[in-house]
Amino acid sequence: MSRIACLEVPLFPLAARLRAEPELEGVALAVTEGTGSTARIVAASRAARRLGVRAGMTLAQARALVPKLVARARDAAAERAASTALTEIAARFSPRIELAPDPCSGVVFLDVEAPRISEAELGRELARAARREGLPAGVGIAASKLAAQVAARSANGETPQIVATGEEAAFLAPLPLARLAPELELARTIDRWGLSSIGDFARLPAAEVSSRLGAAGARLHAVARGADPRPLLAREPPPDLSEGLELEWPLVTLEPFLFVAYAALERLCRRLETRAVGCARLALELDLEPAGRDARAWELPAPTRDAKTLLTLLRLDLEARPPGAAVVGFAVTAIPGQTRSGQGTLFGTPAISPERLATTLARLFALLGGERVGSPRPIDGHRPERFVLAPYTPPPPPLVPPLMTRGHELDSGDRSDGSRPRRGAQGLLAVRTLRPPVELEVQVEPRQSDQEKAPTVLRSRARESDGRHLEIAGSVRVASGPWHLEESWWNERAIEREYWDVELDAAGLYRIYRELAGDRWFADGIYD
Amino acid sequence: MTLPQARIERSELLSRLEGPLAGKLRSARELLRPERRSEPVPTVWGRAIPGLERLLPAGFARGDLVELTAGRSGGRFACVLALLAAATASGENAALIDLGDGLDPQAATATGIDWNRLLWVQPRDIREALAATEAALTGGFPIVALDLGLPPLPGGRGAETMWIRLARSARAHGGLAFVAAPYRVSGTAAATVLELRRSQARWSGTGGAPLLLDGTNGRLLLHKAPHLEGSRGETLVFSASRKREPRVALSA
Repeated sequence: MSRIACLEVPLFPLAARLRAEPELEGVALAVTEGTGSTARIVAASRAARRLGVRAGMTLAQARALVPKLVARARDAAAERAASTALTEIAARFSPRIELAPDPCSGVVFLDVEAPRISEAELGRELARAARREGLPAGVGIAASKLAAQVAARSANGETPQIVATGEEAAFLAPLPLARLAPELELARTIDRWGLSSIGDFARLPAAEVSSRLGAAGARLHAVARGADPRPLLAREPPPDLSEGLELEWPLVTLEPFLFVAYAALERLCRRLETRAVGCARLALELDLEPAGRDARAWELPAPTRDAKTLLTLLRLDLEARPPGAAVVGFAVTAIPGQTRSGQGTLFGTPAISPERLATTLARLFALLGGERVGSPRPIDGHRPERFVLAPYTPPPPPLVPPLMTRGHELDSGDRSDGSRPRRGAQGLLAVRTLRPPVELEVQVEPRQSDQEKAPTVLRSRARESDGRHLEIAGSVRVASGPWHLEESWWNERAIEREYWDVELDAAGLYRIYRELAGDRWFADGIYD
Repeated sequence: MTLPQARIERSELLSRLEGPLAGKLRSARELLRPERRSEPVPTVWGRAIPGLERLLPAGFARGDLVELTAGRSGGRFACVLALLAAATASGENAALIDLGDGLDPQAATATGIDWNRLLWVQPRDIREALAATEAALTGGFPIVALDLGLPPLPGGRGAETMWIRLARSARAHGGLAFVAAPYRVSGTAAATVLELRRSQARWSGTGGAPLLLDGTNGRLLLHKAPHLEGSRGETLVFSASRKREPRVALSA
């Protein structure tokens, strides 16, 4: 016999609103449906109910009772997000879950057959997990969906209501018939018959009920007897996670938007944590006034669950590319990705924890953009400026740290002028690449040794791209070259250069080249 | 000194300090902080820089901000790459914040850098460079090299408070912040200050044969370091690698 648990959030539109705006907790709050004078209250907070506000009242009636009543319209985005969060909580306890047909009803069923812990403990854990997510839910466990749902409504706080298998009819019998939520017409008819409890209705002959109330009545009668033929229809939770809000008034500045967006991102990161995944891709959709839409997305270098990093990403992008109109609603969506895992070592080099590394990479990505952060790689070709950036995924450190070798032995070689050098340590000279290359004005004269035209005087020109001027000027003391470079001669992007190593009288050792196609000179590196 | 004696001296010392320090210290933690500062964990990466082993036998310390200055062709970038090569070869992750965008992976392969362990960040100005350095230090990178490229530095040299903040970040997270700049930028924040002075380039080939760049000679000066009085210097030699580029000399 299967066992089904039901997780139901009473007054779901209100709970979803409070989850999105937790600062309204304890306030006399009403959630309304409709606009203007037709706005009706669908749920009211405990403080509002205590003052006489009831579901079904118009907003004007409620305000007549409580002038300081805070009213919020139903928010489909917030309810969808809360509903998905509820599904995720259920998915932590069972692989087979089912959402109620109306996604905004705040009801989810899960198969809890043969749990590893007692049903009571399971129910308490479920209720606690939902409360931590900002959704106060009741938990019922029974053999059928309906009995479990009715039990959930009877649950007291975090204590679940458990109905033993075969005891469904006995459990339902004393409860008022309204708990079965019959259709309005059916409810009126049953009321006229003078029946008030589920047990009274269940005791009627099934054939008589069927002949008088039709198929709907027969179904209700079967349910009242504890027989619920509906099986649990398991479904997978959606792969992406979304949080959002319809705003009460349009936002025109960034800071207030980031304030509400941060709360949504924190909720999103909590949900990612429950799935043990990180955000690999973040998307933002903005509803703009009067009817516009703005969508943008970011691929993250490594999945992360750091809300502040994601917020920085939003901030920098919105500062760089403002949406151009007031924002009336938004949704942030995370495409989950597996976070990296790592094995620590006792004796080897300590590694950065994968989570911390992912957060750092995401921060750098937010600060600079994806094309400026990565792991450099040399690629095939002859041009010195070539490189490619690969995603930064360092291998695990060695289990035993390698011994440092002394790579810098004392220099005992001779100098070019034949003199012995003083004792000194030796390193490898590096080239500092100039990106983009600095254009030069160059004077050339035939060299004495081979009549090759060699540079004798250099002067740099200001870069047109950024206006920066890297000063390179002076007479050439030594020029070594030319070194011929030819690449891609087989297509129209062919380049042909003559490279020189030059030392200036003033200071500096440069790598310069002449572009043969346009007879232009550039400096593309400094020996440093 | 036996342990009870040491305890007595310590308690005596504390009782003497109590009077003058009572008004300055708010908690015992503040008394402990200077003690911790004097015992940084030494690293061996400093040996990667030619000549430094003799100037600083213990190498650099984790948690310090080290500044190296050098003019053009002084060997500054070579020191940065050597340090990164030593760190990545020992299995550490390292970050290069390259304000000058000067890294040529093909040419730098000869230094032995493990590219898989190197994070290359290319900021656009000094503000981004400092923020990226701090982010990398905060993220747990044990060594973060910030190379400021060539003057004029985009965004200036940065406010001194930003450098102090960077030094504190390095201290708090136990990472080495190695700043390579064309001139002094970090002010009082740097725990160790080095300077490279180039003397001349070395060329091979005489007479009618084409000249080849052999390298440069220079001098490494240590201006500031914990427990150092005065400056010290060390001669050093940088050799040019002929494996950089497959070149063909066009001889006459």
